[in-house]
Amino acid sequence: MAKIDPRKQDEILHAAADWWVKLREPDTEGEAVEQWLAWATEDERHLETFERMNELAGRLGSLDAVSRQGLINAFTRPAAPPRRWLPLAVAASIAVVALSGTYIVWRNGVSSVGSQVYASAVAQNKDITLPDGTQVALGAASTLTTHFSHGQRRVELSQGEAFFQVIHDNSRPFVVAAGNVSVRDIGTAFDVRRTGERVTIAVTQGRVQIADTHPSPGQEPRGTLEVSAGQLVSYDPNSSGMTIGSITSEQATGWRDDRLDFIDEPLSVVVANLNRYSVRQLHIADADLGKLTYTGSVRTDAIDSWLSALPQVFPLRVSTGGNEVILSDAAYPSHR
Amino acid sequence: MGKLNTAIYEGMTTVTLSVHANDVEQLFREHNRALIAFLQCRLNSHSDAQEVAQEAYLRVLTMSNREEVDSLRSYLFTIAGNLAIDRLRKRKVRSDFAAVQSQEEPATEALPDHHAMAVEQVAGLRRALRELPPKASQAFVLHVIEGRDFGTVAQTMKLSERMVRYHVANALAHCRAWVDEKEKP
Repeated sequence: MAKIDPRKQDEILHAAADWWVKLREPDTEGEAVEQWLAWATEDERHLETFERMNELAGRLGSLDAVSRQGLINAFTRPAAPPRRWLPLAVAASIAVVALSGTYIVWRNGVSSVGSQVYASAVAQNKDITLPDGTQVALGAASTLTTHFSHGQRRVELSQGEAFFQVIHDNSRPFVVAAGNVSVRDIGTAFDVRRTGERVTIAVTQGRVQIADTHPSPGQEPRGTLEVSAGQLVSYDPNSSGMTIGSITSEQATGWRDDRLDFIDEPLSVVVANLNRYSVRQLHIADADLGKLTYTGSVRTDAIDSWLSALPQVFPLRVSTGGNEVILSDAAYPSHR
Repeated sequence: MGKLNTAIYEGMTTVTLSVHANDVEQLFREHNRALIAFLQCRLNSHSDAQEVAQEAYLRVLTMSNREEVDSLRSYLFTIAGNLAIDRLRKRKVRSDFAAVQSQEEPATEALPDHHAMAVEQVAGLRRALRELPPKASQAFVLHVIEGRDFGTVAQTMKLSERMVRYHVANALAHCRAWVDEKEKP
């Protein structure tokens, strides 16, 4: 058998890629196509390598929407990768949040002023209309508390996920607090997902102002960040940093149609969110597994089929015991 | 007499036609694979490439100006190229329409297995893309994954189209080599 010269092979590979981009152009015709044909028929490896360029491009063009978005976020926005808060502090909104405790006049019972707790059960989404007319879709196993005063509407998301369609009122800002992050609407619809101290905010309409309300000791307060429709902001409590990406509104509110979409989320976050929809709780036995990054969709009414596909993607084992499912490292012997 | 003439005439036509058909058949035998590759590059779909190729052969078979055409092969590729442009245009109209529609009904999503495959592929691709200069990976993702044409990518990245093509070709060769390495038996 003829030995393949790696240098020759590399040369053909690059020639094939060059022809591929040239032929992509609709105005490449006539003489240029003839030249390509001459190249392609000169050596059978030429056409074969060119076909493999087509094959790869075809495969990449048919990726599912979430994976596509993940790649687009990771590689097409070099200006916005993990980024700290803008140094120019618009301290006002931080101050408002800090002071709000003293601001609020507790007058339960008055329609649009007062405090109210809303909670949903596991595997149950809930639609709510707040006293000011704002529509909230509350995800499963989520808790929301409203503190409405005459000067401000403050909502605290203590766990889970909620999608807000805010009735805007300049004289009464609407602020959602989720752990260390506050989100203030500027005429908006947006989704907030809180997993422990990790918070993601997806804006589907208008704009919001996001602030870190919990500056680390010794650090000066950081400013606010303004994001608009189609943008996704993730707050990582470990680095107190924000990552900006993009997201479609279908992805952001997929959970309302029994589908959770994750873009570059640690497996531990994926599992915590699925647990809001699963009566049978999932546990990660080995902490390192929880750090693996996952991008994809999971149907909340078909978590089992997702679980059965998971070992193909990650080096883990899925075992069921009683009313829980254990994800453990495939490299170690079974935990049970 | 008139009858005979007609018969001769008909016979000639049949002969001419079958000669032409033989030429087209030969063209098919020798260049069909290249034609499909050419169309697949334009259309990014194997089945679309096959459909367009079929239509191109049909056009060549039924052409009325055979005597005006020097090279049947370049005529075939020109026709096919034009048909591909038409198809891309129709596709654009359809996807604009679909974008309007999808606001009303959510897109159907793929099965979990499909996602599992995709996640694995994507993880590998990411590693490969990270090895490239940022401009190369950005141009590649914008063109091949997001589907923007070279002109738009050039505008977004503030580069010339020539540089964009250079980056995309580089990234494509790199990713292909990477995938080959990984899929080696």
